[in-house]
Amino acid sequence: MSPVVDAVQAALGDAVLAVVPGFGPVTVDVDPASWAAAVAAAAGAGATYADYLTAYDELELGFALVLHVTTPDASDHVLLRTRVPRDRPQVESVVGIHRGLAWHERATHEMFGIGFVGNDDLSPLRTQPSLGAHPLRKDFVLAARVARPWPGEKDPAGDNGRARRRVLPPGVPEGWGDQA
Amino acid sequence: MTEPAVPARSRGVISLVEENCTVCMLCARECPDWCIHIEGHTETLPADEEHRRPRTENVLDRFAIDFSLCLYCGICIEVCPFDALHWSPEHEYAGATLAELTHERDRLAGWEATAPTTAQRDA
Repeated sequence: MSPVVDAVQAALGDAVLAVVPGFGPVTVDVDPASWAAAVAAAAGAGATYADYLTAYDELELGFALVLHVTTPDASDHVLLRTRVPRDRPQVESVVGIHRGLAWHERATHEMFGIGFVGNDDLSPLRTQPSLGAHPLRKDFVLAARVARPWPGEKDPAGDNGRARRRVLPPGVPEGWGDQA
Repeated sequence: MTEPAVPARSRGVISLVEENCTVCMLCARECPDWCIHIEGHTETLPADEEHRRPRTENVLDRFAIDFSLCLYCGICIEVCPFDALHWSPEHEYAGATLAELTHERDRLAGWEATAPTTAQRDA
């Protein structure tokens, strides 16, 4: 199917948890302890170009970390994915394999609070170090959305052009902004 | 100066087909950066031969997109159930002030003539 997927499976064995064809590039789910080994195996099989690394918040399931790698001629695209627990979100850094991912590891650390062991510079790129929070985590309240009127709150069928039941914008939990 | 040739599918500006809009608010609610402003009201239409009971209809009063905030993601176009919004490759609408980048419904409707047809998009 894909030489890169085959190489990751051969190198990791049982640490490959699933291979998901999906609609686009194949996704290979790996054990977090084998994250760096999976990236190394993919690179060894020709996927030497790291396109993008990011994460997404799956709440009680933890955080999914996703890396898109490809061969330089784009003939073999693979998504490597691992899931780290919420209470101890960290993996081994892969900067030693793809130097260009230093920026992505910094950004992912900043936005999701995921640690990359072995990456010495995880200083935030956009936010103040004193923020002490990770803006792309789902439990991060978008407070500016409480203060500013939401254009989507209007409802032509409601009373005075507002919805009968107050609709809150995404990112604002129930109970916030009730005084408005 | 020659105008740059851009592909028909370019995300230049968003056009509005006013008569397709039912004031459902879906686009304004899905917009990630809150740049769509819609106002409307309901009107009661009397019963007639076709409709046995009086019925209410939403009427659009204002539809504006603030292109100084728009991030050209196209979610509003995707989410519209009635195809009231379309991409147009037209992109030369710079202004001297931020306020000029808020296009009200008449200006948005004017862009519709520049939106490509399906055949042009797929060419």
